[in-house]
Amino acid sequence: MLRAALLAGAERGINRILRLDPTALPRLARLSGRIIEIDCTAPAWRLFILADDEGLRLASDWGADADCRLRAPASSLLSLAVSRNKTAVLHGPEVEINGDSGLLMNLAEVLQDLELDWEYEISRWLGPVGAQLLGSSLRSPVEWARDSAGSLRQDLADYLSEESRMLVGQAEAQARFDELDDMKLALDRLEARIERLALHLNPERPE
Amino acid sequence: MTDPRKAHDAEPTTHFGYKNVPESQKAQKVAEVFHSVAAKYDLMNDLMSGGVHRLWKRFTIELSGARHGNRVLDIAGGTGDLTRQFSRIVGHTGEVVLADINASMLKVGRDKLLDKGVAGNVRFVQADAEKLPFPDNYFDVVTIAFGLRNVTHKEDAIASMLRVLKPGGRLLVLEFSKPTNQLFSKAYDAYSFSLLPMMGKLITNDADSYRYLAESIRMHPDQETLKSMMETAGFERVSYHNMTGGIVALHRGIKP
Repeated sequence: MLRAALLAGAERGINRILRLDPTALPRLARLSGRIIEIDCTAPAWRLFILADDEGLRLASDWGADADCRLRAPASSLLSLAVSRNKTAVLHGPEVEINGDSGLLMNLAEVLQDLELDWEYEISRWLGPVGAQLLGSSLRSPVEWARDSAGSLRQDLADYLSEESRMLVGQAEAQARFDELDDMKLALDRLEARIERLALHLNPERPE
Repeated sequence: MTDPRKAHDAEPTTHFGYKNVPESQKAQKVAEVFHSVAAKYDLMNDLMSGGVHRLWKRFTIELSGARHGNRVLDIAGGTGDLTRQFSRIVGHTGEVVLADINASMLKVGRDKLLDKGVAGNVRFVQADAEKLPFPDNYFDVVTIAFGLRNVTHKEDAIASMLRVLKPGGRLLVLEFSKPTNQLFSKAYDAYSFSLLPMMGKLITNDADSYRYLAESIRMHPDQETLKSMMETAGFERVSYHNMTGGIVALHRGIKP
Protein backbone atom coordinates (compact mmCIF):
# COMPACT_ATOMS: atom_id res chain seq x y z
CA MET A 1 0.00 0.00 0.00
CA LEU A 2 2.90 2.32 0.78
CA ARG A 3 4.44 1.62 -2.60
CA ALA A 4 1.13 2.32 -4.28
CA ALA A 5 1.01 5.65 -2.46
CA LEU A 6 4.59 6.50 -3.49
CA LEU A 7 3.89 5.58 -7.10
CA ALA A 8 0.68 7.60 -7.08
CA GLY A 9 2.66 10.60 -5.82
CA ALA A 10 5.41 10.13 -8.39
CA GLU A 11 2.83 9.75 -11.14
CA ARG A 12 1.15 13.02 -10.21
CA GLY A 13 4.50 14.84 -10.16
CA ILE A 14 5.64 13.45 -13.51
CA ASN A 15 2.33 14.14 -15.20
CA ARG A 16 2.36 17.71 -13.92
CA ILE A 17 5.80 18.20 -15.51
CA LEU A 18 4.71 16.48 -18.73
CA ARG A 19 1.79 18.88 -19.06
CA LEU A 20 4.28 21.77 -19.17
CA ASP A 21 5.75 20.49 -22.43
CA PRO A 22 3.43 21.24 -25.33
CA THR A 23 4.57 18.24 -27.38
CA ALA A 24 5.07 15.54 -24.74
CA LEU A 25 1.47 14.43 -24.29
CA PRO A 26 0.61 14.10 -28.00
CA ARG A 27 3.80 12.07 -28.44
CA LEU A 28 2.94 9.88 -25.46
CA ALA A 29 -0.56 9.37 -26.90
CA ARG A 30 1.07 7.42 -29.74
CA LEU A 31 2.29 4.89 -27.16
CA SER A 32 -1.13 4.45 -25.59
CA GLY A 33 -2.30 0.93 -25.04
CA ARG A 34 1.25 -0.41 -24.78
CA ILE A 35 2.70 -1.73 -21.54
CA ILE A 36 6.34 -1.33 -20.53
CA GLU A 37 7.72 -3.38 -17.67
CA ILE A 38 10.88 -2.34 -15.83
CA ASP A 39 12.21 -5.28 -13.87
CA CYS A 40 15.00 -4.22 -11.54
CA THR A 41 17.13 -7.19 -10.51
CA ALA A 42 19.12 -5.63 -7.66
CA PRO A 43 17.33 -4.50 -5.53
CA ALA A 44 14.35 -6.49 -6.75
CA TRP A 45 11.32 -4.44 -7.69
CA ARG A 46 9.08 -4.10 -10.69
CA LEU A 47 7.45 -1.14 -12.32
CA PHE A 48 4.87 -1.05 -15.07
CA ILE A 49 4.58 2.07 -17.20
CA LEU A 50 1.58 2.83 -19.39
CA ALA A 51 1.46 5.99 -21.44
CA ASP A 52 -1.51 7.84 -22.89
CA ASP A 53 -2.58 11.35 -23.78
CA GLU A 54 -3.01 12.25 -20.11
CA GLY A 55 0.52 11.27 -19.17
CA LEU A 56 2.10 8.22 -17.60
CA ARG A 57 0.55 5.63 -15.35
CA LEU A 58 2.91 3.87 -12.95
CA ALA A 59 1.95 0.58 -11.33
CA SER A 60 3.76 -1.94 -9.18
CA ASP A 61 1.77 -4.75 -10.72
CA TRP A 62 -0.25 -5.21 -13.88
CA GLY A 63 -2.53 -8.14 -14.61
CA ALA A 64 -1.54 -8.35 -18.29
CA ASP A 65 1.65 -9.15 -20.20
CA ALA A 66 3.99 -6.28 -21.05
CA ASP A 67 4.81 -5.35 -24.66
CA CYS A 68 8.36 -4.53 -23.69
CA ARG A 69 10.31 -5.76 -20.71
CA LEU A 70 13.57 -4.24 -19.51
CA ARG A 71 15.54 -6.25 -16.96
CA ALA A 72 18.59 -4.67 -15.37
CA PRO A 73 20.17 -3.85 -12.01
CA ALA A 74 19.45 -0.45 -10.49
CA SER A 75 22.90 0.89 -11.45
CA SER A 76 22.28 0.27 -15.16
CA LEU A 77 18.77 1.70 -14.91
CA LEU A 78 20.18 4.84 -13.34
CA SER A 79 22.84 5.30 -16.01
CA LEU A 80 20.17 4.64 -18.61
CA ALA A 81 18.07 7.41 -17.12
CA VAL A 82 20.84 10.02 -17.07
CA SER A 83 23.02 9.15 -20.06
CA ARG A 84 22.49 10.74 -23.44
CA ASN A 85 23.80 7.72 -25.29
CA LYS A 86 21.25 5.13 -24.24
CA THR A 87 22.18 2.58 -26.89
CA ALA A 88 25.57 1.98 -25.26
CA VAL A 89 23.96 1.22 -21.91
CA LEU A 90 21.27 -0.96 -23.50
CA HIS A 91 23.92 -3.10 -25.15
CA GLY A 92 25.63 -3.72 -21.80
CA PRO A 93 25.90 -7.31 -20.55
CA GLU A 94 23.63 -6.75 -17.53
CA VAL A 95 20.75 -5.29 -19.49
CA GLU A 96 18.12 -7.56 -20.99
CA ILE A 97 15.29 -6.40 -23.23
CA ASN A 98 12.39 -8.53 -24.37
CA GLY A 99 9.68 -7.49 -26.79
CA ASP A 100 9.39 -4.21 -28.65
CA SER A 101 12.47 -2.17 -27.71
CA GLY A 102 11.32 0.68 -29.96
CA LEU A 103 8.59 1.34 -27.43
CA LEU A 104 11.14 1.88 -24.70
CA MET A 105 13.27 4.15 -26.90
CA ASN A 106 10.22 6.24 -27.82
CA LEU A 107 9.34 6.74 -24.19
CA ALA A 108 12.94 7.62 -23.32
CA GLU A 109 13.04 10.13 -26.19
CA VAL A 110 9.90 11.87 -25.02
CA LEU A 111 11.28 12.17 -21.50
CA GLN A 112 14.68 13.32 -22.74
CA ASP A 113 13.29 15.93 -25.12
CA LEU A 114 11.16 17.61 -22.46
CA GLU A 115 11.23 21.33 -23.06
CA LEU A 116 9.32 22.72 -20.20
CA ASP A 117 7.35 25.87 -20.71
CA TRP A 118 8.15 27.30 -17.30
CA GLU A 119 6.94 30.70 -18.32
CA TYR A 120 3.41 29.37 -18.73
CA GLU A 121 3.46 27.85 -15.26
CA ILE A 122 4.89 31.03 -13.76
CA SER A 123 2.35 33.15 -15.61
CA ARG A 124 -0.41 31.34 -13.78
CA TRP A 125 0.97 32.81 -10.57
CA LEU A 126 2.49 36.14 -11.61
CA GLY A 127 0.42 37.04 -14.67
CA PRO A 128 1.80 37.37 -18.22
CA VAL A 129 3.81 40.58 -17.68
CA GLY A 130 5.53 39.34 -14.55
CA ALA A 131 6.29 36.01 -16.16
CA GLN A 132 7.77 37.73 -19.22
CA LEU A 133 9.97 40.01 -17.08
CA LEU A 134 11.14 37.17 -14.87
CA GLY A 135 11.61 34.92 -17.88
CA SER A 136 13.75 37.35 -19.87
CA SER A 137 15.84 38.38 -16.87
CA LEU A 138 16.52 34.71 -16.17
CA ARG A 139 16.97 33.72 -19.79
CA SER A 140 19.75 36.16 -20.71
CA PRO A 141 22.15 35.14 -17.90
CA VAL A 142 21.45 31.49 -18.64
CA GLU A 143 22.18 32.01 -22.34
CA TRP A 144 25.28 34.03 -21.56
CA ALA A 145 26.51 31.26 -19.24
CA ARG A 146 25.85 28.62 -21.87
CA ASP A 147 27.65 30.60 -24.60
CA SER A 148 30.59 31.32 -22.31
CA ALA A 149 30.91 27.68 -21.32
CA GLY A 150 30.85 26.70 -25.01
CA SER A 151 33.54 29.17 -26.07
CA LEU A 152 35.67 28.36 -23.02
CA ARG A 153 35.58 24.69 -23.97
CA GLN A 154 36.58 25.53 -27.55
CA ASP A 155 39.41 27.84 -26.43
CA LEU A 156 40.76 25.30 -24.00
CA ALA A 157 40.75 22.57 -26.64
CA ASP A 158 42.53 24.86 -29.10
CA TYR A 159 45.13 25.88 -26.52
CA LEU A 160 45.93 22.32 -25.44
CA SER A 161 46.26 20.94 -28.95
CA GLU A 162 47.60 23.90 -30.97
CA GLU A 163 49.47 26.23 -28.62
CA SER A 164 50.95 24.11 -25.88
CA ARG A 165 51.03 20.88 -27.90
CA MET A 166 50.18 18.95 -24.74
CA LEU A 167 47.43 17.04 -26.52
CA VAL A 168 47.18 15.77 -30.06
CA GLY A 169 44.60 17.60 -32.19
CA GLN A 170 41.61 15.68 -33.45
CA ALA A 171 42.48 15.96 -37.15
CA GLU A 172 46.06 14.99 -36.48
CA ALA A 173 45.03 11.99 -34.41
CA GLN A 174 42.60 10.92 -37.11
CA ALA A 175 45.36 11.02 -39.72
CA ARG A 176 47.58 8.82 -37.53
CA PHE A 177 44.73 6.37 -36.97
CA ASP A 178 44.18 6.17 -40.74
CA GLU A 179 47.85 5.46 -41.27
CA LEU A 180 47.74 2.75 -38.65
CA ASP A 181 44.70 1.22 -40.34
CA ASP A 182 46.49 1.25 -43.70
CA MET A 183 49.54 -0.36 -42.14
CA LYS A 184 47.40 -3.06 -40.56
CA LEU A 185 45.76 -3.82 -43.88
CA ALA A 186 49.18 -3.94 -45.62
CA LEU A 187 50.42 -6.30 -42.94
CA ASP A 188 47.40 -8.55 -43.42
CA ARG A 189 48.02 -8.64 -47.17
CA LEU A 190 51.71 -9.41 -46.62
CA GLU A 191 50.86 -12.24 -44.27
CA ALA A 192 48.45 -13.72 -46.78
CA ARG A 193 51.05 -13.43 -49.51
CA ILE A 194 53.74 -15.17 -47.46
CA GLU A 195 51.32 -17.94 -46.69
CA ARG A 196 50.53 -18.38 -50.35
CA LEU A 197 54.24 -18.45 -51.22
CA ALA A 198 54.93 -20.99 -48.50
CA LEU A 199 52.18 -23.16 -49.97
CA HIS A 200 53.88 -22.88 -53.41
CA LEU A 201 57.25 -24.03 -52.06
CA ASN A 202 55.80 -26.90 -50.12
CA PRO A 203 52.63 -28.06 -51.93
CA GLU A 204 52.34 -31.45 -50.12
CA ARG A 205 51.86 -29.84 -46.75
CA PRO A 206 48.24 -30.27 -45.72
CA GLU A 207 46.21 -27.10 -45.31
CA MET B 1 -38.85 -23.28 -12.22
CA THR B 2 -39.19 -22.66 -8.52
CA ASP B 3 -36.85 -20.61 -6.46
CA PRO B 4 -36.51 -22.27 -3.02
CA ARG B 5 -36.18 -18.88 -1.42
CA LYS B 6 -39.63 -17.95 -2.61
CA ALA B 7 -41.33 -21.31 -1.98
CA HIS B 8 -42.61 -20.40 1.47
CA ASP B 9 -45.74 -18.42 1.94
CA ALA B 10 -44.15 -15.92 4.28
CA GLU B 11 -41.65 -13.78 2.40
CA PRO B 12 -38.04 -14.66 3.29
CA THR B 13 -36.03 -11.95 4.95
CA THR B 14 -32.53 -10.68 4.44
CA HIS B 15 -30.29 -8.41 6.43
CA PHE B 16 -30.24 -4.67 5.99
CA GLY B 17 -27.39 -3.68 8.26
CA TYR B 18 -28.21 -5.43 11.54
CA LYS B 19 -31.95 -5.36 10.86
CA ASN B 20 -33.89 -8.04 9.05
CA VAL B 21 -36.13 -6.85 6.27
CA PRO B 22 -38.26 -8.69 3.70
CA GLU B 23 -36.13 -9.43 0.64
CA SER B 24 -38.28 -7.34 -1.63
CA GLN B 25 -37.58 -4.28 0.49
CA LYS B 26 -33.80 -4.45 0.72
CA ALA B 27 -33.15 -2.97 -2.70
CA GLN B 28 -35.61 -0.21 -1.93
CA LYS B 29 -33.93 0.59 1.38
CA VAL B 30 -30.43 0.50 -0.10
CA ALA B 31 -31.67 2.83 -2.83
CA GLU B 32 -32.89 5.29 -0.18
CA VAL B 33 -29.45 5.26 1.45
CA PHE B 34 -27.69 6.06 -1.80
CA HIS B 35 -30.23 8.63 -2.99
CA SER B 36 -29.54 10.37 0.27
CA VAL B 37 -25.73 10.34 0.03
CA ALA B 38 -25.16 10.58 -3.75
CA ALA B 39 -24.35 14.28 -3.88
CA LYS B 40 -21.65 14.13 -1.21
CA TYR B 41 -20.51 10.57 -1.92
CA ASP B 42 -16.97 11.40 -3.11
CA LEU B 43 -16.34 13.84 -0.31
CA MET B 44 -17.48 11.31 2.29
CA ASN B 45 -15.33 8.59 0.76
CA ASP B 46 -12.26 10.79 1.01
CA LEU B 47 -13.05 11.78 4.58
CA MET B 48 -13.99 8.32 5.83
CA SER B 49 -10.98 6.56 4.40
CA GLY B 50 -8.54 9.46 4.63
CA GLY B 51 -8.09 9.25 0.87
CA VAL B 52 -6.94 5.63 1.03
CA HIS B 53 -9.91 4.48 -1.08
CA ARG B 54 -8.07 5.94 -4.06
CA LEU B 55 -5.19 3.50 -3.42
CA TRP B 56 -7.59 0.58 -3.06
CA LYS B 57 -9.13 1.46 -6.41
CA ARG B 58 -5.70 1.95 -7.94
CA PHE B 59 -4.71 -1.54 -6.91
CA THR B 60 -7.95 -2.89 -8.39
CA ILE B 61 -7.07 -1.30 -11.73
CA GLU B 62 -3.56 -2.79 -11.58
CA LEU B 63 -4.83 -6.31 -10.96
CA SER B 64 -7.55 -6.03 -13.62
CA GLY B 65 -5.01 -6.37 -16.41
CA ALA B 66 -7.26 -4.30 -18.66
CA ARG B 67 -5.75 -3.39 -22.01
CA HIS B 68 -6.42 -1.36 -25.10
CA GLY B 69 -9.60 -2.50 -26.84
CA ASN B 70 -11.03 -4.38 -23.85
CA ARG B 71 -14.68 -4.29 -22.78
CA VAL B 72 -15.01 -3.44 -19.10
CA LEU B 73 -18.12 -3.50 -16.92
CA ASP B 74 -17.98 -1.40 -13.76
CA ILE B 75 -20.93 -2.55 -11.65
CA ALA B 76 -22.16 -0.32 -8.84
CA GLY B 77 -19.69 2.11 -10.37
CA GLY B 78 -21.28 4.93 -8.40
CA THR B 79 -19.54 8.16 -9.14
CA GLY B 80 -17.29 6.67 -11.79
CA ASP B 81 -13.80 6.58 -10.22
CA LEU B 82 -12.92 3.23 -11.77
CA THR B 83 -14.75 3.97 -15.02
CA ARG B 84 -12.64 7.08 -15.61
CA GLN B 85 -9.40 5.11 -15.27
CA PHE B 86 -10.66 2.21 -17.36
CA SER B 87 -11.78 4.62 -20.07
CA ARG B 88 -8.18 5.85 -20.33
CA ILE B 89 -6.79 2.33 -20.46
CA VAL B 90 -9.12 0.72 -23.00
CA GLY B 91 -8.86 3.68 -25.39
CA HIS B 92 -11.13 4.44 -28.33
CA THR B 93 -11.30 0.85 -29.51
CA GLY B 94 -12.52 -0.38 -26.13
CA GLU B 95 -15.68 0.19 -24.19
CA VAL B 96 -16.50 0.80 -20.54
CA VAL B 97 -20.00 0.32 -19.16
CA LEU B 98 -20.79 2.08 -15.92
CA ALA B 99 -23.72 0.25 -14.38
CA ASP B 100 -25.48 1.19 -11.17
CA ILE B 101 -28.88 0.23 -9.86
CA ASN B 102 -29.30 3.66 -8.33
CA ALA B 103 -30.41 6.45 -10.65
CA SER B 104 -29.09 9.22 -8.39
CA MET B 105 -25.62 7.72 -8.18
CA LEU B 106 -25.56 7.05 -11.91
CA LYS B 107 -26.54 10.64 -12.63
CA VAL B 108 -23.85 12.05 -10.34
CA GLY B 109 -21.33 9.71 -11.95
CA ARG B 110 -22.36 10.59 -15.49
CA ASP B 111 -22.24 14.33 -14.81
CA LYS B 112 -18.86 14.03 -13.13
CA LEU B 113 -17.35 12.01 -15.98
CA LEU B 114 -18.75 14.29 -18.68
CA ASP B 115 -17.43 17.32 -16.79
CA LYS B 116 -13.99 15.73 -16.81
CA GLY B 117 -14.21 15.09 -20.54
CA VAL B 118 -14.59 11.33 -20.25
CA ALA B 119 -16.82 10.39 -23.17
CA GLY B 120 -16.92 8.38 -26.36
CA ASN B 121 -16.06 4.97 -25.01
CA VAL B 122 -18.28 5.02 -21.90
CA ARG B 123 -21.91 3.90 -21.62
CA PHE B 124 -24.15 4.44 -18.64
CA VAL B 125 -26.63 1.72 -17.79
CA GLN B 126 -29.04 1.50 -14.88
CA ALA B 127 -28.99 -2.19 -14.10
CA ASP B 128 -29.44 -4.71 -11.31
CA ALA B 129 -26.27 -6.70 -10.63
CA GLU B 130 -28.37 -9.86 -10.17
CA LYS B 131 -29.85 -9.60 -13.65
CA LEU B 132 -27.27 -7.94 -15.85
CA PRO B 133 -28.80 -6.88 -19.19
CA PHE B 134 -25.82 -7.92 -21.33
CA PRO B 135 -25.15 -10.86 -23.66
CA ASP B 136 -23.18 -13.90 -22.51
CA ASN B 137 -19.38 -13.84 -22.86
CA TYR B 138 -19.28 -10.11 -23.52
CA PHE B 139 -16.80 -8.44 -21.13
CA ASP B 140 -13.07 -8.90 -20.58
CA VAL B 141 -13.16 -7.41 -17.10
CA VAL B 142 -16.00 -6.98 -14.60
CA THR B 143 -15.44 -4.98 -11.43
CA ILE B 144 -17.72 -4.34 -8.50
CA ALA B 145 -16.24 -1.95 -5.96
CA PHE B 146 -18.06 -1.51 -2.67
CA GLY B 147 -21.27 -2.74 -4.22
CA LEU B 148 -21.65 -6.47 -3.59
CA ARG B 149 -22.46 -5.78 0.07
CA ASN B 150 -25.68 -4.05 -0.93
CA VAL B 151 -26.91 -6.72 -3.30
CA THR B 152 -29.84 -8.79 -1.98
CA HIS B 153 -28.86 -12.14 -3.53
CA LYS B 154 -25.08 -12.14 -3.79
CA GLU B 155 -24.94 -15.62 -5.35
CA ASP B 156 -27.23 -14.52 -8.17
CA ALA B 157 -25.10 -11.44 -8.75
CA ILE B 158 -21.86 -13.43 -8.90
CA ALA B 159 -23.47 -15.93 -11.29
CA SER B 160 -24.70 -13.10 -13.47
CA MET B 161 -21.21 -11.57 -13.60
CA LEU B 162 -19.79 -14.95 -14.57
CA ARG B 163 -22.29 -15.20 -17.40
CA VAL B 164 -21.41 -11.85 -19.00
CA LEU B 165 -17.64 -12.44 -18.72
CA LYS B 166 -15.75 -13.91 -21.67
CA PRO B 167 -13.86 -17.13 -20.94
CA GLY B 168 -10.56 -15.98 -19.47
CA GLY B 169 -12.21 -12.78 -18.31
CA ARG B 170 -11.60 -11.51 -14.80
CA LEU B 171 -13.98 -10.54 -12.02
CA LEU B 172 -12.65 -8.16 -9.38
CA VAL B 173 -14.60 -7.66 -6.19
CA LEU B 174 -13.39 -4.79 -4.03
CA GLU B 175 -15.26 -4.84 -0.77
CA PHE B 176 -14.96 -4.22 2.93
CA SER B 177 -13.88 -7.30 4.80
CA LYS B 178 -12.65 -8.57 8.15
CA PRO B 179 -9.53 -6.95 9.71
CA THR B 180 -6.87 -9.59 10.31
CA ASN B 181 -5.54 -8.14 13.56
CA GLN B 182 -7.70 -8.31 16.74
CA LEU B 183 -6.48 -5.04 18.21
CA PHE B 184 -6.83 -3.22 14.92
CA SER B 185 -10.31 -4.67 14.59
CA LYS B 186 -11.35 -3.11 17.93
CA ALA B 187 -10.10 0.32 16.90
CA TYR B 188 -11.83 -0.03 13.56
CA ASP B 189 -15.11 -0.96 15.29
CA ALA B 190 -14.91 2.08 17.53
CA TYR B 191 -14.21 4.27 14.52
CA SER B 192 -16.97 2.95 12.34
CA PHE B 193 -19.75 2.82 14.94
CA SER B 194 -19.20 6.17 16.60
CA LEU B 195 -17.10 8.45 14.42
CA LEU B 196 -18.52 7.42 11.06
CA PRO B 197 -22.21 8.14 11.78
CA MET B 198 -21.14 11.43 13.34
CA MET B 199 -19.24 12.44 10.21
CA GLY B 200 -22.25 11.38 8.16
CA LYS B 201 -24.47 13.56 10.32
CA LEU B 202 -22.19 16.58 9.94
CA ILE B 203 -21.63 16.37 6.21
CA THR B 204 -24.70 14.81 4.66
CA ASN B 205 -27.03 15.36 7.64
CA ASP B 206 -27.78 11.65 7.51
CA ALA B 207 -26.32 9.55 10.31
CA ASP B 208 -28.55 6.55 9.57
CA SER B 209 -27.07 5.94 6.13
CA TYR B 210 -23.60 5.77 7.57
CA ARG B 211 -24.74 3.58 10.42
CA TYR B 212 -26.10 1.28 7.73
CA LEU B 213 -22.68 1.40 6.04
CA ALA B 214 -20.90 0.29 9.22
CA GLU B 215 -23.47 -2.44 9.93
CA SER B 216 -23.59 -3.76 6.38
CA ILE B 217 -19.78 -4.10 6.43
CA ARG B 218 -20.06 -6.40 9.47
CA MET B 219 -22.74 -8.50 7.80
CA HIS B 220 -20.76 -8.97 4.61
CA PRO B 221 -19.06 -12.36 4.16
CA ASP B 222 -15.40 -12.44 5.19
CA GLN B 223 -12.46 -13.11 2.85
CA GLU B 224 -12.64 -16.91 2.82
CA THR B 225 -16.45 -17.04 2.58
CA LEU B 226 -16.53 -14.71 -0.41
CA LYS B 227 -13.73 -16.70 -2.02
CA SER B 228 -15.69 -19.94 -1.68
CA MET B 229 -18.83 -18.21 -2.97
CA MET B 230 -16.95 -17.22 -6.11
CA GLU B 231 -15.58 -20.74 -6.51
CA THR B 232 -19.03 -22.24 -6.05
CA ALA B 233 -20.37 -19.93 -8.76
CA GLY B 234 -17.76 -21.35 -11.14
CA PHE B 235 -14.80 -18.97 -11.01
CA GLU B 236 -11.31 -20.44 -11.15
CA ARG B 237 -7.98 -19.35 -9.65
CA VAL B 238 -9.82 -17.25 -7.08
CA SER B 239 -7.46 -15.28 -4.86
CA TYR B 240 -7.75 -12.30 -2.59
CA HIS B 241 -5.46 -9.54 -1.34
CA ASN B 242 -6.02 -7.87 2.01
CA MET B 243 -5.49 -4.13 2.05
CA THR B 244 -5.12 -1.79 5.01
CA GLY B 245 -5.04 -4.67 7.48
CA GLY B 246 -8.02 -6.48 5.96
CA ILE B 247 -10.46 -3.56 6.22
CA VAL B 248 -10.78 -4.02 2.50
CA ALA B 249 -10.13 -7.11 0.41
CA LEU B 250 -9.80 -7.43 -3.33
CA HIS B 251 -10.99 -10.79 -4.69
CA ARG B 252 -10.12 -11.85 -8.17
CA GLY B 253 -11.50 -14.82 -10.10
CA ILE B 254 -11.07 -15.97 -13.68
CA LYS B 255 -13.89 -17.38 -15.82
CA PRO B 256 -12.80 -20.79 -17.13
